[in-house]
Amino acid sequence: MELVHTVMSETTFWTVLLMIHGLLSMALIGALTHQAASVLRAPAPGAGGLVARFGSVKGDLYASAVTGLWVASFLFGAWIYIKYRTYIRIPIEQEEFWKTLGAFEMKEQLASIGLGLLPLYWLAWRRSYDKSLQATRKWLTLTLALFGWIAFLVGHVVNNVRGFGS
Amino acid sequence: MSASDNSDRALAFARTFAIAAPLIYVVCELMNWPVFTYHPGTGRLDWGFASPVRDEGPAMYWFGWNLAMIFGGALIAGLAALAPGLARRLPLAASWIFALACIPLYLYALRFYWSH
Repeated sequence: MELVHTVMSETTFWTVLLMIHGLLSMALIGALTHQAASVLRAPAPGAGGLVARFGSVKGDLYASAVTGLWVASFLFGAWIYIKYRTYIRIPIEQEEFWKTLGAFEMKEQLASIGLGLLPLYWLAWRRSYDKSLQATRKWLTLTLALFGWIAFLVGHVVNNVRGFGS
Repeated sequence: MSASDNSDRALAFARTFAIAAPLIYVVCELMNWPVFTYHPGTGRLDWGFASPVRDEGPAMYWFGWNLAMIFGGALIAGLAALAPGLARRLPLAASWIFALACIPLYLYALRFYWSH
């Protein structure tokens, strides 16, 4: 860490980590939203509209990317969580933004629960030929998409309350 | 061991982990049973639950709950993989139903924050 701080200030270092976490999360919800659209409404053959094309992705190709992005985003989130707990959460408590704090508590629980679902999600998509796993693929994808969106939006709100440059 | 056996065991592991791990996490979180406590102010680690130390900043439990989830879930899922026939009795739907049920559960558990 000392070596890193010779190249950039401590504030810049944590800001870079937060940006990487945010970019990974954006890629994650992008992939999950496409995949969720594909399980909700399979496009009719030949359909060419924007909505049809949005959901016409091959869901199985997204599963490994979603799994990897969830783990990577989780690890970066866990790293910056140390900084959040000491330098972000305490001032938010002092300013009495209780709903923001509660939403962040919710985000951290959903991110962990989502992590627990990943092995089954990944395996169910790896076996996309297996009809008995069709409902599992659909519902785990929708659950992870919902959790991902909640986590992303809450992270965005917390960043607005006390994030970059604070 | 055939490829089919390995495939059954992998599914038994994943199916059991997806149910057991979130359940372990929620129980540990709601009961406040972390495997360890991290004190970011001093960098100290304590086994199990430890209260914050005066003038040393907050104590963090989230890492300890996640460790309990990963190791506890892997242990139970590993045992289930030894008996894939038994694991097959676990309904796959339990994984996403429990996960989705955590949203109203936490909305209630965190009610302190919404009422202020």
